[in-house]
Amino acid sequence: MKLAGLKSIENAHDESVWAAAWVPATESRPALLLTGSLDETVKLWMPDELVLQQNNTGHCLGVVAVAAHPSGIIAASASLDSFVRVFDVDTNATIATLEAPPSEVWQMQFDPKGSILAVAGGSSASIKLWDTATWKLIDTLAIPRPESSKPTDRGGNKKFVLSVAWSPDGRRLACGSMDGTISIFDVNRAKFLHHLEGHYMPVRSLVYSPVDPRVLFSASDDGHVHMYDAEGKSLIGAMSGHASWVLSVDVSPDGAAIATGSSDKTVRLWDLNMRAAVQTMSNHADQVWGVAFRPPGGAGVRAGRLASVSDDKSISLYDYS
Amino acid sequence: MASVYIPVQNSEEEVRVALDQLPRDASDILDILKAEQAPLDLWLIIAREYFKQGKIDQFRQILEEGSSPEIDEYYADVRYERIAILNALGAYYSYLGKIETKQREKEEHFILATQYYNKASRIDMHEASTWVGKGQLLLAKGDVEQAFAAFKIVLDGDRDNVPALLGQACVEFNRGRYSDSLDLYKRALQVYPDCPAAVRVGIGLCCYKLGQFEKARKAFQRVLQLDPENVEALVALGIMDLHTNDASGIRKGMEKMQRAFEIYPYCAMALNYLANHFFFTGQHFLVEQLTETALAVTNHGPTKSHSYYNLARSYHSKGDYEKAGLYYMASVKESNKPHDFVLPYYGLGQVQLKLGDFRSSLSNFEKVLEVYPENCEALKALGHIYVQLGQTEKAQEYLRKATKIDPRDAQAFLDLGELLITSDTGAALDAFKTARGLLKKGGEEVPIELLNNIGVLYFERGEFELAEQTFKEAVGDGIWLSFIDDKAYSYANDARTSMHHFKDMQLFHQLEEDGHFVELPWNKVTVLFNLARLLEQLNNTKTASILYRLILFKFPDYIDAYLRLAAIAKARNNIQLSIELVGDALKVNDKGPNSLCMLGDLELKNDDWVKAKETFRSASDATDGKDSYATLSLGNWNYFAAIRSEKRAPKLEATHLEKAKELYTRVLVQHNANLYAANGAGVVLAEKGHFDVSKDIFTQVQEAASGSVFVQMPDVWINLAHVYFAQGNFALAVKMYQNCLRKFYYNTDSQVLLYLARTHYEAEQWQDCKKTLLRAIHLAPSNYTLRFDAGVAMQKFSASTLQKTKRTADEVRSTVAELKNAVRIFSQLSAASNLHFHGFDEKKIETHVGYCKHLLEAAKVHCEAAEREELQNRHRVELARQVNLAEEARRKAEEQRKFQLERRKQEDELKRVMQQEQHFERVKEQWKSNNLNSKRKERSQIDDDEGGQSERRRRKGGKRRKKDKSRYDSEEARADAMDDQDEMEDEDTNMNHRESTNQMNNQDDDGEDDAQDLLAAAGLEDSDAEDDMAGPSSGNRRKRAWSESDEDEPQDQRPESSPVRENSAEVQESDGEIKDDNDKPNGDAAEDDED
Repeated sequence: MKLAGLKSIENAHDESVWAAAWVPATESRPALLLTGSLDETVKLWMPDELVLQQNNTGHCLGVVAVAAHPSGIIAASASLDSFVRVFDVDTNATIATLEAPPSEVWQMQFDPKGSILAVAGGSSASIKLWDTATWKLIDTLAIPRPESSKPTDRGGNKKFVLSVAWSPDGRRLACGSMDGTISIFDVNRAKFLHHLEGHYMPVRSLVYSPVDPRVLFSASDDGHVHMYDAEGKSLIGAMSGHASWVLSVDVSPDGAAIATGSSDKTVRLWDLNMRAAVQTMSNHADQVWGVAFRPPGGAGVRAGRLASVSDDKSISLYDYS
Repeated sequence: MASVYIPVQNSEEEVRVALDQLPRDASDILDILKAEQAPLDLWLIIAREYFKQGKIDQFRQILEEGSSPEIDEYYADVRYERIAILNALGAYYSYLGKIETKQREKEEHFILATQYYNKASRIDMHEASTWVGKGQLLLAKGDVEQAFAAFKIVLDGDRDNVPALLGQACVEFNRGRYSDSLDLYKRALQVYPDCPAAVRVGIGLCCYKLGQFEKARKAFQRVLQLDPENVEALVALGIMDLHTNDASGIRKGMEKMQRAFEIYPYCAMALNYLANHFFFTGQHFLVEQLTETALAVTNHGPTKSHSYYNLARSYHSKGDYEKAGLYYMASVKESNKPHDFVLPYYGLGQVQLKLGDFRSSLSNFEKVLEVYPENCEALKALGHIYVQLGQTEKAQEYLRKATKIDPRDAQAFLDLGELLITSDTGAALDAFKTARGLLKKGGEEVPIELLNNIGVLYFERGEFELAEQTFKEAVGDGIWLSFIDDKAYSYANDARTSMHHFKDMQLFHQLEEDGHFVELPWNKVTVLFNLARLLEQLNNTKTASILYRLILFKFPDYIDAYLRLAAIAKARNNIQLSIELVGDALKVNDKGPNSLCMLGDLELKNDDWVKAKETFRSASDATDGKDSYATLSLGNWNYFAAIRSEKRAPKLEATHLEKAKELYTRVLVQHNANLYAANGAGVVLAEKGHFDVSKDIFTQVQEAASGSVFVQMPDVWINLAHVYFAQGNFALAVKMYQNCLRKFYYNTDSQVLLYLARTHYEAEQWQDCKKTLLRAIHLAPSNYTLRFDAGVAMQKFSASTLQKTKRTADEVRSTVAELKNAVRIFSQLSAASNLHFHGFDEKKIETHVGYCKHLLEAAKVHCEAAEREELQNRHRVELARQVNLAEEARRKAEEQRKFQLERRKQEDELKRVMQQEQHFERVKEQWKSNNLNSKRKERSQIDDDEGGQSERRRRKGGKRRKKDKSRYDSEEARADAMDDQDEMEDEDTNMNHRESTNQMNNQDDDGEDDAQDLLAAAGLEDSDAEDDMAGPSSGNRRKRAWSESDEDEPQDQRPESSPVRENSAEVQESDGEIKDDNDKPNGDAAEDDED
């Protein structure tokens, strides 16, 4: 279990790179890396040489999130101005522009089947669900407010939703908020199930294990990565080691490892059996905002790939084996 | 048996007196002697016989009678015998004087002796034996030079006079001229080979003194052959045996001493040596007995000194320092010359050091050093004393010298290291490392304390790996290893849920149940704590927390472990748990200032102002105000209190500031090197506008704070940046903020980013400002103030671009884009305010939206204009090209002079073009006037807006309205130019924003404005009455919260107010600092115990 640097592109964007996701391979082309940046562009890169395929403009105020449809045909990007742009990966044709004011847009993710796009709705304390066929808002999963708090209470702000994650079976949706709590929803019944506690600082990234739909990993500003039994409401393990905020977490396709990106400029690889960091990559010169494992599939591509993006404007690609 | 015959007067008969049957009463024999007028030599013989038999009184009686005036008269012509009698008496009294210990009697004896000798001299002043006697007397009196003269007189007359030779030998010996003395002894022996064995003792001593030990030994042995009972020879041989320094020699020596003691129990020398021996065998009772006897029998200074020394040493080793000190003192007094006998000085120094009399101890050790300038023990002792006296430099000097002299003395390096810890950690580390190396080389076990100190020093220097190694070496093997190496992994994971409870001990119980041995030796607790602290620094909080809990499991009173656990919880923002843990620490000691301070910080974090102040107070009281941290916290509290107020109570602010300053100053007086207090003082000064002074302070603090991982002070960087900012040095301020962000916050602090944005804003670097704010939003998504600020920045950018006289169409286009963004941001804020309470007045935002839309409209016109201008420019370029073409054509025409007609046609065309251009020019003029019109329109629109606002405000009533009103009046008056208006609009924004927060409060308070003013006024009188002021605390608290968001405004009119949060940061930081302070004393304390 190790990472080996393959390629780094300095100044991949003109400004900090804030988001990264892999667009799954289609019949006609391999998987592509999708990145979003403060420079208001979204770029597509071809591995392993990270050749720039496309440079999408049109966003304002910095791109905070990108997501790719499991089919690999469409993708979405979101910016600080709270617009989500859905576009055709290959042609860059805009398919839809989504907004659900006054809710802002943070992280987003397509469900495993590709029929719903879930968007973390910031101060609305909810997740917005968009139908990927009609691009209509189909539901809003709101985190119930504690009974005691009045709408004017400042505490209301704390359920600010930052991150979302679909369970691999598509039945559950988890979201992380500014106050550190993680909320679990039953998607089919559109029902809030419970909170997962343990973090008291913003949870900026969440991911379900691909091999065990109960296991959820969370990355928080408290420098820890937690491993929860999302159904049993219990904390399985806490992994410490990062010197600052953990900004991003992704799990390897084989489910044996997770990678994290942190404000401490490092990317770490964690062995889930040992629950310890086995490798630390320090090639970035500033905060690492995103890490993403390439999904399996595609024409004869078996090798594992991990991409990381950073405030230092660079993108790095690693071989994971 | 010998007898004497006393001739009977006037007859041939003689009275036979058997010498061994002398009558007990000397008067009998005296009568006979007198009656028979016996020759005086008989008197002497008989007297001597009495003396030999120990009948001293009879001896004296006969001699005194024999020297009476009658006898003088009667035997006037018998000179020699009379002299002999007198000399005998003189010698007798000299001897008495010599052995007498009491000074007065001694004197008296010597006086008598002198009298007799003088009398003898009067009879014949050339008599050699008298001179010899006198010489002996003078020797006994210690008058060596005169004795020398006396013996010389004799020897000048008869160079073979044996007694004189011996006397002179003695004199020379005393003068230290041993070889001369030896010659004299030898001559005496040659002249008189049968002289008593004692002469050979003299020879032996001379040889000894001359370093000819073998000869000396032979001499002494010869003495013993001649006189097996000769104590002096025995003692001398014994000493020589002892000095061989091997076991058999010592044993032989001691046997001889013992024999000497058996022969003559009052030989001080032998007694001392015996005592010395028994001191080493630990028989202190014997030591005391022997030395006391020795003291009683001798008055020879050095010997007595030695005896006292033995006695003192005995008491010293028994721990009776008072007595030991007295005897050492007596010993020193007896010898008085450190060069002769330095040991008692050393002992005295030790005892005085022990008793805390550093000055005296110092002078004694210095005397030792005079004699042995390279004595390491004395150097170390002196170093230690100088440490105690606070003269660290001198102490260092001595310890350095000690380590230089003996580079294998681990203890010296240890001491040196400990001394250097406070001043020069690098050198201290080197010293400790050397000590460790020496100990290892010597095969000794390296003390845990030493390893601990080395570890802490590595830690402090940021060499974490080495620190970890060292700590691990120090803690050695134990249950903790399995936690550190994750071997007890299954257990750790079974306790996975408890990981977060921090207080859970189940893990250890379970381990014990499973038969594991959960043990933690007391002397390893500190090291383990430090190791845990290091793991924490390395972000391995999981293991650190287990180790802290292990400590608590075994030592539930270890407050620091609770506090560290609390700090971990606090770092993860789990305030409630943190408070619980501090509560546990307070259960152990409810007056612990550290726990109280931490609690205070937590309460501040919880916005519990009044409680926090009380807690800090009690922390301060618990230490009689000596705990700088508590005082500092109170100072910070006051500082926050000063600037949190609603800017309506400058007096209250001043009182708080003054109080804060006073508290900082108090800390500085106690600890003039306290960085945090200096920083605080700098902040207060900056607050008062003394930027230059505060800049100096901050710069110094910044310098001092670098170099140790235990001192992390981002605050001072920020404060320095604030000062640069306030002084208008934006470039430096930006650099400083950026460095601070990178160095301390991993670029994650949105607050510092906000400061940075504010600086860019002031420097009119709009794009940088915007980008910085966007980064800040990305870091702190729920902070809507940042969005508002971003909107304002974009608005300002657009406005300023539009004001430029020259601009490209691209610029205008981007302006339009920015304005659209601004509009979107403001409208989003406006929409979100329905949902959430983020401190902005909806209407104010709407005003912004309105204004931006207007600008947008204006910009559209601008944009068109710019585009047209661009078009025109393009035309112009085209024209120029055509003109060029024409020129060329003309040249061609001129060259050829053939196509004149064509040329004219072209000229016509040119004219037409000119006309066209003029037309354009006119059109442009028209547009410009159009612009002016639109501007005017805009302004009125905004005035309308403002009118609306003031109306709204009027509803609120109160005097503030008036103020606002007047402000707006003046504004309107000045609002002639677009530029001005923009500016005002911004300020206005700012003001309004502040107002709006007030209004929020007002809404909450149901118009209790006046009441609050009153309360504020009450607080004004005494900042300490603050507690009372907090009556409607909920309102107050909220207000503070909003005042905070107020500060966040980049357009804040008072740049100095931004140091606010640094101090809150400082509070957080410095708790770590306090902890570290604790760490080291822990290690040192352990060290002390070891001592």
